Amino acid sequence: MSTFVIGLSISMLLFLLAAGLTLIFGMLRIINFAHGALYMFGAYLAYQVSASSGSFWLALLVAPLGMALIGALTERWLLRPIYSMPHEFQLLITFGMILVIEEMVHVFWGLNGRNIATPVALAGGVEWLGTTFAKYRLFVIVLGAAMIVLLLLGIERSRLGLIVRACSVNPTMAASLGVKVNTVRTAVFAAGAALAGLAGAVAGPMLPIQLQMGTTIILDCFIVVILGGLGNIRGAVLGALLIGMTRAYGQQWLPEWIDILTYSVLIATLLLRPQGLFSKKERLA
Amino acid sequence: MTETADKPAAPRRLALATVDLRFTMALAVLFGGVAFTVRDDGIAYMLSLIMVWAIFAIGYDLAFGTAGILSFGHAAYFGLGAYGATWAMLRFGLPFSVGLVVAAAFGGLTGIVVALIGRRVTGLYFSLLTLMLAELVSIVMLTRLRDLSGGVDGIAGIPRPSFMAIDFFANGNFVWIVLGLFVAVILGVAVLRRSPLGQAFQGLRQNPVRLEQLGLNLGRLRLAAMGISGAVSGLSGALLASLMMYASPQLLSWKLSGDVLIMTLLGGSGTLLGPILGVAFFEVLKEVLAAYTDHWYGVLGVIFIVGTIFMPKGLAGVVLRRWRRA
Repeated sequence: MSTFVIGLSISMLLFLLAAGLTLIFGMLRIINFAHGALYMFGAYLAYQVSASSGSFWLALLVAPLGMALIGALTERWLLRPIYSMPHEFQLLITFGMILVIEEMVHVFWGLNGRNIATPVALAGGVEWLGTTFAKYRLFVIVLGAAMIVLLLLGIERSRLGLIVRACSVNPTMAASLGVKVNTVRTAVFAAGAALAGLAGAVAGPMLPIQLQMGTTIILDCFIVVILGGLGNIRGAVLGALLIGMTRAYGQQWLPEWIDILTYSVLIATLLLRPQGLFSKKERLA
Repeated sequence: MTETADKPAAPRRLALATVDLRFTMALAVLFGGVAFTVRDDGIAYMLSLIMVWAIFAIGYDLAFGTAGILSFGHAAYFGLGAYGATWAMLRFGLPFSVGLVVAAAFGGLTGIVVALIGRRVTGLYFSLLTLMLAELVSIVMLTRLRDLSGGVDGIAGIPRPSFMAIDFFANGNFVWIVLGLFVAVILGVAVLRRSPLGQAFQGLRQNPVRLEQLGLNLGRLRLAAMGISGAVSGLSGALLASLMMYASPQLLSWKLSGDVLIMTLLGGSGTLLGPILGVAFFEVLKEVLAAYTDHWYGVLGVIFIVGTIFMPKGLAGVVLRRWRRA
């Protein structure tokens, strides 16, 4: 039972990251390689804020905002000039970002791992049906679930979501109807980056904060996003649940084989249903 | 037609490929000259390193710049080439030359297998597939095949060739072997590009629909491109292992696939000169920056980003454009 909760909390963390990745892909058709680096940067920033101010909640607010700012600047000054060039070049920019962000973190915080203390309100566990659940993990699950609802409502039901989808489907038409497509693009990229920052802050008390944390988790996120179908938020939810649970239960039963199994499932998916397991038709944003 | 013949002769423009090849050969002569005149062990090592990586980048560019296949998984062909040669030489006591052939075969076969697995997916999905398959290879080698790969520690003591009592363990001598293979690969790739097969590869990048309408089998062409590109990458992997006398699963890391992509693009993809310039620039810059700062990787990232935005055709684009007039 506690494995289930651990799996669920990993799933939600993966979802936060995958949602940002898939949001950016749906809108900009860019695979943001720097997403893992943003997540790592967000975690360090959260560490710094919580260590200086003593408040985890402030860190939970500052990290996403910081990453949103970086995301917005990146989109405006690095990606926008090269939208007209072949697609690879945009990938390459985000690839270069990894190097720069990792180095910045290295300069500011060095190579030692860090840790965020679990906030007092969420320390300890809750006992239920004879099992103890870590409160923090439950908090992560609730937060993740809230973000799922928020994102789905925001994109599929709100006016804002409508505009975002319009810009993605037909930017020219959206522009001629008076939508500032460029601003929307910047905002979406910033939102995706903010989700990475949020995931970083959330991961802080749960996982060790270190330079490699981005690269280790981003491959899992790629898997989630491919399983769910690129650009598909609902698919990302299911993909994250699948991978998170596999990770948690696999860790318990077959730790040696788990990576090989996940990659095999993924490769099979790419071959049989390259559009993703959970996409009925092309969904956008 | 007669009108154009009467016009005052415009400065003759050479075919880009010709200028490209001439420059590349000049560069090879320059490398040889430096190795011959500056008899310094460190310089010889540096030159070998540049040439080995250049072979890798040229092999990578066969898939990327020529056939238009964006791969994030070339570390797998490179690393498996290195391991193939290592196993052939250390486990079976085969000579160096056979080790190189085994390496090329390993790299080529892996490339073909990847292309076979991904024959139904194209574009971005194929790129992601190459990344994932390479990661799978890396993980399998690190965990399940620890005995074969040497685990995290890797395998040390990879031999260099022995021939007529020449001491190839001295970098000053080994560099000539690398130079020989370097020139051979350049000429081979230059010939390949002009051959009908090479032209078809170019078509794969420029207009696959039209290629198919002309009756060519796209799947088979992609298979061939990945195979040849993988073989060249495998060869360079074996050379690197032999140069460093060490092989480890680090050679399979996805960072390596990223490095070769960066070098190729920085230099200019789709040419012979580009990958070489990119590699030389990367390695020399690394050497220079490392002397001043530990954070050279970050500086490299900035240079890479700026280069991508302002110099999309790479260093070779700048050089070749200027010198195209004969």
